[in-house]
Amino acid sequence: MAAARADTLQSVELADGVEIQLRVAGPAVRSMAYMIDLLIRIGIDFAVGMAVFMLLPPLIGAEMAGGLMMLFAFFMEWFYNVFFEAGAKGATPGQRSMKLRVMSVTGGPVSLAQAVMRNFMRVADFMPGLYLTGIVCMLFTKRFQRLGDLVAHTVVTYAEVPPVLTPQVEIRAERRAPAQVLTREEQAALLQFIERAPLWADERRIELAALAQPLTGVVGVEGLRRLCGMALWLQDPEEKSGTPPPLKGARLFHT
Amino acid sequence: MRLEDITVTLRPRQPWESVDLGCAMVRRDYGGIMALWACTVLPLWALVCVLLRSAPEWIPLAVWWLKPLYDRVPLFFLSRAAFGVRPTFMETWKQWPRLWIKNCLPALLWRRLSFIRSFALPPQMLEGLRGAAVHQRIKTLAMDGGGSGVSTTFAFSNLEMAAWIGLMWGTYGMLPESAQPDWAGFGQSFDFETTIPNGFFWWGAACHMVVVTLVEPFYVGAGFALYLNCRTRIEGWDVELAFRRLATRLTSTVAALILALLMICGAQSSVQALEPPGSAKDARTAIKNLEGYLNNLPKNSHAQPAEKADPAKAVQKVLKEPEFEIHKIQTRRWVWDEKKDKDKKGSRSGGSGAGVLDFFGLIGEVLLWGLVIGVVIWLIVYLWNNRHLFISRGVSRAPVRAPRVLMGMNITPESLPDDIVTAARAAWAAGDFKEALSLLYRGSLSWLVNRRRVPITDSDTEEDCLLQVVQAGEKREADYFRQLTGAWVQVAYAVMPVSNEEMGALCDQWPFVEKGGAA
Repeated sequence: MAAARADTLQSVELADGVEIQLRVAGPAVRSMAYMIDLLIRIGIDFAVGMAVFMLLPPLIGAEMAGGLMMLFAFFMEWFYNVFFEAGAKGATPGQRSMKLRVMSVTGGPVSLAQAVMRNFMRVADFMPGLYLTGIVCMLFTKRFQRLGDLVAHTVVTYAEVPPVLTPQVEIRAERRAPAQVLTREEQAALLQFIERAPLWADERRIELAALAQPLTGVVGVEGLRRLCGMALWLQDPEEKSGTPPPLKGARLFHT
Repeated sequence: MRLEDITVTLRPRQPWESVDLGCAMVRRDYGGIMALWACTVLPLWALVCVLLRSAPEWIPLAVWWLKPLYDRVPLFFLSRAAFGVRPTFMETWKQWPRLWIKNCLPALLWRRLSFIRSFALPPQMLEGLRGAAVHQRIKTLAMDGGGSGVSTTFAFSNLEMAAWIGLMWGTYGMLPESAQPDWAGFGQSFDFETTIPNGFFWWGAACHMVVVTLVEPFYVGAGFALYLNCRTRIEGWDVELAFRRLATRLTSTVAALILALLMICGAQSSVQALEPPGSAKDARTAIKNLEGYLNNLPKNSHAQPAEKADPAKAVQKVLKEPEFEIHKIQTRRWVWDEKKDKDKKGSRSGGSGAGVLDFFGLIGEVLLWGLVIGVVIWLIVYLWNNRHLFISRGVSRAPVRAPRVLMGMNITPESLPDDIVTAARAAWAAGDFKEALSLLYRGSLSWLVNRRRVPITDSDTEEDCLLQVVQAGEKREADYFRQLTGAWVQVAYAVMPVSNEEMGALCDQWPFVEKGGAA
């Protein structure tokens, strides 16, 4: 059961044995990005259409202008996504506004061929109407891929991990080495504890610290103090000054 | 329900990411959810269809309106599955009436149009709260996740709408002729009773039901995952989980047992709500005795009775702390005092020194304008002199600084004679072949680097230099330089002499001279 934990991180093993984890994005956020792109496309088409039909007919005739407009609309429809996804940011304006980007399954940027492939497959995803196939396919594949993604070996992922800003709280705890050797996960948990503790109520902090009683040896406020001390030690094992440093990120708030 | 058994990876996520987590959870258990859906929702739909058989155009609305009822069974299943206890079919079946009745009136009446329906459902259903307490709880949670609950609802209703229209669009062609509406007649009269046959409405209702079956469980899962994420953030469930694993690793089995009791107690406040009725009953009775002690422990350890008793005072005290200090930025705008000015003018015009003052005013104005014009001129000149800073020519091809030493040879113009060809010929005549070719080579490099701005850097070899010169595009110079490089390499490295004719040709063809300023 523990092996089958549901998670949004999807690990991919690359050819050279390296395992990477992709923060894949699901249908909900992608549909929002698509809506934004759709509005942008409609806006551009509308603006260009206005300009073409106002300015060009006297010069080249109404039929010619209509033809040009249709050509423009065609290129917008088929190459808008290709242009942006194969570009440096790997994301259309809509995707960028939702902080998404398109990636190859191997974690690299998409190539032009991949971008063309995944966007030309939109025809298949659109069937039988309004992306029904794409929606169903996204809901039921592990990496939230629609048909175009499956064919082109691409995924849509979250672009960056946003920094967590925590309020500045000075911790009056004596830095101390953990009493036992801790694994990486446990060290990470301790650091998470001290970073997020300012967001919690006192009762909750003490309650959590009490869970780590085998490590600290006591429960209650003293346990919390010792736990914070160990977390501070993990943050910075070398004592450089007499006073403990403020929390990580605190410098941002320093005035 | 123990947090250790959780089958979801907890970590503070971004809202959209937790929506995705909900989708992943639903996908994992889709079969079970669908079976329950078929047994609970389909009978209701059958009933709706029977009741509305004479007015099928209202079926989609009724199906849509009853949505809060469908959400409950999948949520029950998901919440149990998330904590490692997948309920059996019979268990859920027994729970079904209770699930649908609980809080059902507000959900179907005044909360039906809530924008955070799926996000608000777990607090309503899973935390054993009632009445106003539920409302308060939802409000508290919504401070952290309400906005994302709204956008989730928006996104999923879009998906549902798109899928519904898509399905109708895709299957329209398969409809029999008698069920296809007369669009032209509808466009003329807008009278759907005569132009749109009932078959079309039935078909639309069926498509709607299929789509709701497809999308609604994911929407419920998304709300549940948002709720889990909310509590993970504000209660640190992931940290709790890690600490528990740490504790089990560190203690022996006996100690672990005692600890587990303590922990269940400690976590009572946080996961109490998810405790299933009847599970671990005997353990709970044993814990009950400890509970009072433990619940009091943290509070007593930092108790400040006066403040606890009077929350208003505590609020006052907190608000006085420096974090809550209100900073204000005051700006002052200088306004011309016209009234005063008028008074002055009045008195001035009456005075004898008015003409003198006007004269001084004129001088002041002239000076002021002079100053403004001067500043503008200076600015233009300054910008013109520094125009290279503003005009970028793509990627600059020239190196920032021409190298002074290349391949161990000094190529500054100062180190070379003025007339290089004459000097080279002299060296050649004196029999110093290497010196002669070196002069030519250094001279040409010096010219190319300093005059032509060929992007040669001080780490380039002869071959790199040649490549850069060829790429610089002056064909005559490149040809000459290729010939010269060949000769120089031959003499300097291979120590093979160059013929007199070749040297003569090199000297004669020397292209690196000023041609009347046309360099």
